[in-house]
Amino acid sequence: MGAEVITISTDTKFVHLAWQRDEKLLEKVKYPMGSDPTGKISRMFGVYDENTGLDLRGTFIINPEGKLLNSEVNYYNMGRNIDELMRKFKANLHLAEHTNEGCPAKWKEEGDKTLAPSAKMVGKVYEALK
Amino acid sequence: MSEILRVGDAVPDFKLETFEPSKGDFGEISISTLKADKKWTILFFYPADFTFV
Repeated sequence: MGAEVITISTDTKFVHLAWQRDEKLLEKVKYPMGSDPTGKISRMFGVYDENTGLDLRGTFIINPEGKLLNSEVNYYNMGRNIDELMRKFKANLHLAEHTNEGCPAKWKEEGDKTLAPSAKMVGKVYEALK
Repeated sequence: MSEILRVGDAVPDFKLETFEPSKGDFGEISISTLKADKKWTILFFYPADFTFV
């Protein structure tokens, strides 16, 4: 996929090990499982729940220069859509190469229409998207 | 570190202890290493092991 994916919870690395070995669904997992038992990193990203000591479902994309570009946080009871994560990631890659463009909401993959904001486009976004 | 990061911010360096299923071993990962390796990073927080993720 071209990115380092790190899963993080407040469990210790020992629990990560035990869970990954125990749970058949995780047999093929290859991402590093990060451990944040003090909640320090989780607080930094605003996903630490002080009442439960658990992390909310937060996803963050950081570029190679260390800049935070995307942030999505869901409450406990809602899962994340991996297609949307991939869409954001691919859009970031495109925008890193084409710094004067923007990826509209319906942009899905390389080749889809992008916008280059300009004075001409003001009030004409509908036409530009056509 | 009490400020919550916002989109557009530079992420301060931090280190995490890890379990690495691909190696079957413990490890460590840091933002500075990922930057040095010119890698895009996706952090995926979830509530707890042994639950539904």
